[in-house]
Amino acid sequence: MRTLLQQFRRLGSAGELVAMVGVLVASILLFGAIAPGFYAGPVFSSMAFQLPELGLLALAMFVPIISGGLNLSVTYSANISGLLAAFFVKAFLVHAGWVSLPVALAIGLSSGLAIGFAIGIIVAYVGAHPILVSLGMMILLRGLGEWATRGGDISGMPDVFATIGYGTVLGVPVPMIVFLIAVAATAYLMGRTKEGFAIYMVGSTPAAAEYSGIDVKKTLVLVYSVSGMLTGLAGILMLARFNSVRVGHGDSYLLITILACFLAGANPFGGFGKVLPLAVALMSLQVIASGMNLMGASQHLATAAWGAFLILIMAIRAPFLRQNK
Amino acid sequence: MISRKMLVGTIAAAVMTAGMASGAMAETTIGVVAKIGGIPWFNAMEAGIEQEGKARGVDAFMVGPTSADPALQVRAIEDLIARKVDVIGVVPNDAKVLEPVLQKARDAGIIVLTHESTASVNKNYDFELVSAKDLGEAHAKLLAKTTECKGGYAVYVGGLTVPAHNAWADAAVAWLDENCPDMKQVADRFGVAESVDDSRNTTLDLIRAHDDLTGILAFGSQGPVGAARAVEERGLIGKVAVVGLFSAGQGRKLVHSGAITGGYVWSPLEAGRVFVALGKMLAEGGTVSDGDELPLLGKIRLEGSNIFANMPLALSKDTVDGLAEMGL
Repeated sequence: MRTLLQQFRRLGSAGELVAMVGVLVASILLFGAIAPGFYAGPVFSSMAFQLPELGLLALAMFVPIISGGLNLSVTYSANISGLLAAFFVKAFLVHAGWVSLPVALAIGLSSGLAIGFAIGIIVAYVGAHPILVSLGMMILLRGLGEWATRGGDISGMPDVFATIGYGTVLGVPVPMIVFLIAVAATAYLMGRTKEGFAIYMVGSTPAAAEYSGIDVKKTLVLVYSVSGMLTGLAGILMLARFNSVRVGHGDSYLLITILACFLAGANPFGGFGKVLPLAVALMSLQVIASGMNLMGASQHLATAAWGAFLILIMAIRAPFLRQNK
Repeated sequence: MISRKMLVGTIAAAVMTAGMASGAMAETTIGVVAKIGGIPWFNAMEAGIEQEGKARGVDAFMVGPTSADPALQVRAIEDLIARKVDVIGVVPNDAKVLEPVLQKARDAGIIVLTHESTASVNKNYDFELVSAKDLGEAHAKLLAKTTECKGGYAVYVGGLTVPAHNAWADAAVAWLDENCPDMKQVADRFGVAESVDDSRNTTLDLIRAHDDLTGILAFGSQGPVGAARAVEERGLIGKVAVVGLFSAGQGRKLVHSGAITGGYVWSPLEAGRVFVALGKMLAEGGTVSDGDELPLLGKIRLEGSNIFANMPLALSKDTVDGLAEMGL
């Protein structure tokens, strides 16, 4: 056991990824053994269709967590971005065919960016805790959205949205492709750029980052702007999946995104955690949910399984973390 | 690594065994997605689904999402499509959100049934146990019978913009206008019926203002309870009838004291049974047309792809205790 631990330590962050892949393989094997008809194309396709909207929101949660913060407004920020895009498309581009898609995407991304930017500015320059700021933003957005839509929905997007929400390319669901691109982009930002490095440093020890010449304020604004853009993308994807948008769609995802980040080894106090383990952890959660659905288990039990899974992984991880100190 | 895998396996397996479905695959598989799992209404529906599934030899089950977020219903339906069920039933939280995924289900050759969602497009059929008109008229008839078509009455709804409540109220008022010309509505509709206090206060005011008040029609879960309390306080039981739909557990005492005359709802248990009976019939190639006698539903009316039965469930001294025990 000791040598195993030491091997994992040497692997460093790659070890986390290997471990998460191991967990994913284990859960696939488990459900392959106990859930009837699990090894089938449609099952994996169904999982690949379901994962991305939650996955994008989890990415949007991940970046602030690495910086030592949290973004509680991810779901409502996605709703508002989707609403603005849907409103514009509905008003001007219903018959514009495929043109409506890039326009909607641009509106969604920029409104998500604007919301994130606002959170970032307040966190960085007012110095309020991100939980308070993003909670305030979440309530503000929900209130504004409910007021503007009167609790109703905007629906009836051009057909091109359905090809994004339900189409496949070479058998791979389009939402999954969108998600994988977002994962790659986030992984690149976090792992290969000096901005990404700054985010890890700020999350680890803000004071040390400040003294080593990192512009902490600018980094925080960047963190929440990136997070906001990812929620904008999630909002557009939800719009494409549901052909409709309403304030409150997907609000059950909020806590799950935080769960996924911690499951993937993101440190609740910031500074540590990698993007790829997160993507793999999300897949494990989806395998558990779909596997239990396939067996006809209660959804409440599936939620319980998620919770048990998180606690289990935390317990397994604890000795490794202690070794790192 | 090995020990880790085994740990994951053991614990997950322990969690799973509790939820294992029966292994035997029946001929027809029917999955019904509820609005939310674990509340009395849908527990009753689940009981109906399982009961009827056993009776008809169908593998029928309910999927109850953990919150009323329509995104969770989409996920549940995706999994049902992957599971290749024959029939998907759903009580939508938001009909529009489900359209694309229901389209996908139909493209996969799955029969789609909805309930309480006449506006859904991508479905084979929607079924309603009682139409808005029939439900409103059932209440009007009960009021007319109790007051013998005399005096004045007032109408409460949950809100002036709640579509279902106002549709029921419209039907009730229209029936009374035609069949009880002597009964007059004493004031415009009040949007108070989701609050016990507002309903009580409004009723006290109305009793003070109108000597000839003989009845209250309340559509909204708290309306009959509030109105009945006012009637009880003023000692007017038997003189002012309170008719409307309410939750059995909350209203049972008032029903037994006579302060609430009664009302009608529809039964989630029956709805669950209908999902299975109708789903099996359609999966075996059955068809539906206007005026047909269908299993469980009786003689139905078909409007477009919406099936309307007329089987309101009476809330009365005889039924209220049983319903309260089911938690409805």
